[in-house]
Amino acid sequence: MSNNYLEVTNLKKSFGGIKAVDIQSLKLNKDQLTSIIGPNGAGKTTFFDLISGFQDSDNGKVYLNDKNITKSQPYLIARLGMIRTFQLTKVFDRMTVLENMMFSASNVNNDSFLKSLIKLPSQKINEKNIRDKSFEIMKELNIEHMADSYARELSGGQKKLLELGRSIINDPKILLLDEPLAGVNPKLAEEILEIILNLSEKGISILMVEHNIEAVMKISERVIVLAEGKVIADNTPENVRTDENVISAYLGSENE
Amino acid sequence: MKLTFKSSITILLTIFSISLVFLLNDEGEIPILFNLLTFAGIYGLAAIGLNVHFGLTGLLNFGHAAFMGLGAYVTILLIPHAAGREGEITVSGLPFFLALIIGIISAALFGLLLGLPAIRLRGDYLAIVTIAAAEIFRLLVRDLESITGGVYGIINFSDALQQSRPVFINNFASTYDLNPSQMWVAFLSWVSIFLVLLLLKRLTNSPWGRALRAVREDEDAVRALGKNAVWLKLQSFMLGAGIAGLSGVLLAFNYGTVQVSTFIPILTFYVWAIMILGGVGSLTGPIFGSVMFWVIISETNGIAQLIFENANGQQIAGVRFVLVGLLIMVLMIFRPSGLMGKKEELLLDVK
Repeated sequence: MSNNYLEVTNLKKSFGGIKAVDIQSLKLNKDQLTSIIGPNGAGKTTFFDLISGFQDSDNGKVYLNDKNITKSQPYLIARLGMIRTFQLTKVFDRMTVLENMMFSASNVNNDSFLKSLIKLPSQKINEKNIRDKSFEIMKELNIEHMADSYARELSGGQKKLLELGRSIINDPKILLLDEPLAGVNPKLAEEILEIILNLSEKGISILMVEHNIEAVMKISERVIVLAEGKVIADNTPENVRTDENVISAYLGSENE
Repeated sequence: MKLTFKSSITILLTIFSISLVFLLNDEGEIPILFNLLTFAGIYGLAAIGLNVHFGLTGLLNFGHAAFMGLGAYVTILLIPHAAGREGEITVSGLPFFLALIIGIISAALFGLLLGLPAIRLRGDYLAIVTIAAAEIFRLLVRDLESITGGVYGIINFSDALQQSRPVFINNFASTYDLNPSQMWVAFLSWVSIFLVLLLLKRLTNSPWGRALRAVREDEDAVRALGKNAVWLKLQSFMLGAGIAGLSGVLLAFNYGTVQVSTFIPILTFYVWAIMILGGVGSLTGPIFGSVMFWVIISETNGIAQLIFENANGQQIAGVRFVLVGLLIMVLMIFRPSGLMGKKEELLLDVK
């Protein structure tokens, strides 16, 4: 068993004439908190969509723990233990925070039509466990007091927390975080970074797309820089900072 | 249903609309009211089915008439009936309740069949496909004259149901000078509503119902959390279609005949109007919506006479749609969640 959780080879995706993603080879290591950065339109979110099954690639292969998941359905990939979040937070607006959490914690078996119709006692016990677990996670994320509020009443930052909580409640092996800090105030951003670090220490492999360079440099062990769909740098944060390609493509404007 | 401010207002409005029947008619109020409540029961049941699709799961189904029609045709073709111009009665057939169950299951399977290719479509696109599918169904039924009787329809099938009519229905009907056959259909409609609501109450408060609401809110997030959104939508589509099938059967028995012209798109739009009036996503809402809707439909005559002197048929038909339209407009402005809908779960946000 290799130490890579995700491996992509020759992954390509074009929209018309634009090459959104064009990655020769990329292996992600289980023990490293990895971040992807790059200018707008660099193909970061498309890359997420390709590996999580939300878009089909034109070419290439994706392996999750040595299992070929190319063109697999998103829900099947999620069931393998790789959970993603979205750049534009996707919470279930007209459901309560608790329901959001419980839906995520519940599995297909528990959601079954027949079980729900007969109301098996085992389902009741299961629901109680799910409920307890939801409260546990909500407490960790400090959104416990909002449990009975509708998700759409939450602030942007709280929605990010809810989405994160929903993603980790089933103990995923891999988390793909698409801009977990976008639109979040600095104080909450600190808290979210802390949470991400904790998750990483617990053994969850984390791949993160983020525009907040300072945050990325602070917590990442490996930084991959995308530009026009290609990997232009792949190194430790310190080395990426001084990489000439990166400076000219991306960081240049900020350092001047 | 808890007696909240909302439900008290709704009940008052319903009582008010029923009292309109007595205000606007000089004689025969009871038969008029009874006829109206029969239709209200049947259409209310159809609206409850539509609410599973739209209110619970967010599926824009504009082909409800086809599900109702399929249930009706399958059931009636399986019991003794007379189809077509010649109208020879088939003597053999299944017992009514067995045929009914097969009819409901067929409607659900039609939902599955239609859903398999179509359900992946989002919002408006699903609406277009369902409305087209319903028209295809209607035209097929019209042209398969040797089986369905085509435009001549099917008659002489009521006996299979009326044989099972209990005595208390006869007694009740004769006391109030009502038609006992229609009484039996009305009774079955309201019993069906009661049973279907019990079933749905159980289901919507379950993990299954929660999953459907999650699909309604955001399919992508559902997928990203490892749930098969397509299968959940198909299940919802089948359940709602089955309920529609049941209401279609009752509609056919209420008319005593099945005609292709019953299952035209306007039927779907009536059911939509009822659901919107009652409250999208609310369990009991469609019942109240349906009663009010049918008061307007059946009392248009009286209301039109208040507006025009000696209104003719065309004017009355015009007033009918103006009233339904006005009611929906007023509701959308002042109470977009409908009579019984939850404000927090507003689905039709027009502002």
